Amino acid sequence: MSEASVSANASAPKAAPESKEGKKEVKHLSYGALIARRFFRQPSAVVGVVLLAILVLFALFGSSIAQWGYDEPDFLSLSGAPSSSHWLGTDPGGSDLYALVVHGLGKSLLIGVITSVATMAIAAIYGTAIAFFGGWVERIGMWILDCLLVVPSFLLIAMLVRAANATAGWIWLVIGLTAFGWVGYARIIRTMTLSLRERDYVKAAHFMGVGSFKIILRHLVPNLASLIIINTVLGVVGAVNSETALSFLGVGIKPPDTSLGSILQTGQSTIQTAPWILLAPSVVLILLCFSMQLIGDGLRDALDPNSAAGGKVGA
Amino acid sequence: MLKFIAKRLANYVVMLFVAVSFTYFMASAFMHPRSVYESRTPRPPQDSIERTLDLANLNDRTPVLERYWNWLTAIVTRWDWGKSPTLESVNSAIAPRVLASTELVTLSTVLSIVLGVALGIYTAQRQYKWQDRMFMVTGTLFMVIPSAVLALLIVLMAIAVNDTVGFRMFYVTGLSSYTGDDIGLRLLDFLQHIILPTISLTLLGMVGYHLTQRTYLLDELHADYVRTARMKGLTRRQAVRRHALRASLIPTGVNVAFSIASVFTGAVITESIFAINGLGRYFITAINQSDINASVAIAAFGGVCTLTGALLADIFSAWLDPRIKMS
Repeated sequence: MSEASVSANASAPKAAPESKEGKKEVKHLSYGALIARRFFRQPSAVVGVVLLAILVLFALFGSSIAQWGYDEPDFLSLSGAPSSSHWLGTDPGGSDLYALVVHGLGKSLLIGVITSVATMAIAAIYGTAIAFFGGWVERIGMWILDCLLVVPSFLLIAMLVRAANATAGWIWLVIGLTAFGWVGYARIIRTMTLSLRERDYVKAAHFMGVGSFKIILRHLVPNLASLIIINTVLGVVGAVNSETALSFLGVGIKPPDTSLGSILQTGQSTIQTAPWILLAPSVVLILLCFSMQLIGDGLRDALDPNSAAGGKVGA
Repeated sequence: MLKFIAKRLANYVVMLFVAVSFTYFMASAFMHPRSVYESRTPRPPQDSIERTLDLANLNDRTPVLERYWNWLTAIVTRWDWGKSPTLESVNSAIAPRVLASTELVTLSTVLSIVLGVALGIYTAQRQYKWQDRMFMVTGTLFMVIPSAVLALLIVLMAIAVNDTVGFRMFYVTGLSSYTGDDIGLRLLDFLQHIILPTISLTLLGMVGYHLTQRTYLLDELHADYVRTARMKGLTRRQAVRRHALRASLIPTGVNVAFSIASVFTGAVITESIFAINGLGRYFITAINQSDINASVAIAAFGGVCTLTGALLADIFSAWLDPRIKMS
């Protein structure tokens, strides 16, 4: 408390003459521009964005500078160490690790983003709907949510994905991760909606005869936008983690397709003879998850009116 | 209080029944134990396949409701959780694996709670100082790092250490390899095995406690009653210890109650990396062999653990906060 008031006093005399001299027009800032300004004011968030941008560019265009495709093994170099022709070495099957990592990163990103968006869409609609209707709908809805939380979701996802994806590939991974991933988020969103449904504008819309689903989509979901956006960004980390775990256990992505988790699985078997197979996907995964987390934290601070990211007076 | 617990318990039992039945139907719909036999070379005779599947109550030509009924009556009357496609009993397979999982996870759970809460308290009192920022960054790192990556990097480091010192200081697979009678050597052997998985699980587990405890304590530190305590003349340390800390430990206690459940279900990734025959590894084997009964039994066991944790959390919070019993 005392520190804050002291620093406010100290900065007041400095700020005062500036505001007298520069009689600038008050510039109108749109909400988006305000959030962007508050977001980019945080060094950690900028680091996150830069890291993510590099990774996305790497996933999109990394294959065009590669000398090998991820599905064309070089049988003259099995488990080869990094060299001029294979920049990151090769795996026991002779596949170029650089090409594998580029392809796997793309797949992990794709799965992570699609899963997170789909998960949050279901959670937002379900959570707001049961809170909005209240009464027995809410009671039954909550009971279903609790029921789905009883059995650890990882087990259900693994069961579904392992059984189904022998033919259909990574789409089933997304479906499985989405089908059981939304439950926890729906509970959070329901709790947030409980206070929203009592607001005057929701009641007004209701009494004017606006349909329930229109109210949910027009009034309730947009008011939870900040929460939903933050959870979507952070949800990517969770989805990438689950995907890595499943593929690592041999339940997720299957060869010839590859993801960072399945490269790790290959690397585990050769951990003593060819440790470089492990290092490249590990570093990429850590960077990916860390950058997403930094962006999510930055967004949370930017969207939170009480946070320190609002900057000092006058800024 | 008893009525409250009884009501909760009844609700949980119904929930467990519905969830496990749902899992059974889902597993039956998505797993094909028949394929285990049909893909064998040479392919066994058709009659033998049918007979084996019938014996295991897994034949997909029997209506699923009939199979469900057989499965359910066997559990209720004989506590028999069924057989794997190769006709091994699920009951006898689960018990030793639960033991292995418990051995593995107990130590790391205790360590993550103690270290995490301590770190949360330490950093909350130094909010925005360099210690807080440093632990925040490392905490975030351990929060987002996939558990497989962390465990594999730890294995890599342990192998490097083993190579440098010239003998096997750390074992990277299993829980024990010593077969003699000496108690001291056996303990040492166990420690050499358990230390790496424990480090990996503790690093991953303590982050949650660190971050939540930090938030809870910060909320309390800014509360009016803590300021009043300071004004009455208590030192900062006394005010924190006697007032803020106590209140902030309540939600942490609820979290701890929940996490007790995970001790028995183990850690799927860690178990498969360190080759520990626990419940998590058994589950992966089960779904890879289309073992419907074993998968459902593990899911049911997981459900029982979750709900026990939830019940403990209910009792704990009702005991601390009388308002909950009323509603």
